[in-house]
Amino acid sequence: MLGQLMEHAQQLTIVDMEASIEHMSRGTVRQTDMMLVVTEPYYRSLETTGRTANLARGLGIKQVYVVANKVRSPQDEVAIRHYCAERDLEIIAVLPFDDDVRQADNAGTPILDREPQPAYVGMVDQLVSRLLATTEQQAVGEGVA
Amino acid sequence: MKLAVSGKGGSGKTTLSATLARLFARRGFSVLAIDGDPNPNLGVALGVTSSGLATLHPLPRTIIEERADASGTKQTVLTQSIEDITSDHGVPAPDGVTLMLTARVDHPGAG
Repeated sequence: MLGQLMEHAQQLTIVDMEASIEHMSRGTVRQTDMMLVVTEPYYRSLETTGRTANLARGLGIKQVYVVANKVRSPQDEVAIRHYCAERDLEIIAVLPFDDDVRQADNAGTPILDREPQPAYVGMVDQLVSRLLATTEQQAVGEGVA
Repeated sequence: MKLAVSGKGGSGKTTLSATLARLFARRGFSVLAIDGDPNPNLGVALGVTSSGLATLHPLPRTIIEERADASGTKQTVLTQSIEDITSDHGVPAPDGVTLMLTARVDHPGAG
């Protein structure tokens, strides 16, 4: 069903997946251009990310990227970069730990509606630009105008 | 672009999905945000109103069916146009994003 929806849907579809992607249907996989795997800088989260990324590639999703989230220190970032480099995983964004995100979550309000604009929002906006650039490159690579 | 966001519970995947959805919409994209998590929170993260959240329901199975094509191969197809599905089952979110729920809800009392 998800695959059918995605096939017919509008310009841009974002699916917030369930934690495990094992049950992703072939139809959904076929419709997925790109998967972002969100990871935190601790061992169990990284292990889950490694497994998920492998599974996604095995299912046939060509563009699989890691988003490092809740990064509090240079050491956090190094740990994630080290883990991903060893497994040939590409990191597309490193998002800092932002207490505004925690507060927005706790309050059940969108991070985007906080004033002044939290640093997190600016970082995600940069990710939007990068995703668009990546998609364009991919289209050129496949010979699509 | 069809984008899937995955990650462990608590990793921040829902906050990221919601923020991406609205920022793409602000750049002029027509955005469909799909909550595929059995414990759905995307609506709250997007900032859907409580009256909007109250009308949010999982998409019924009847929107798809299997049909055999000329060669007899079974294909899953939509039984309605995407526009009709959106107007019947989509819930408006800020910045013009449309939210839909695909997963079966395990905790109907939650949220």
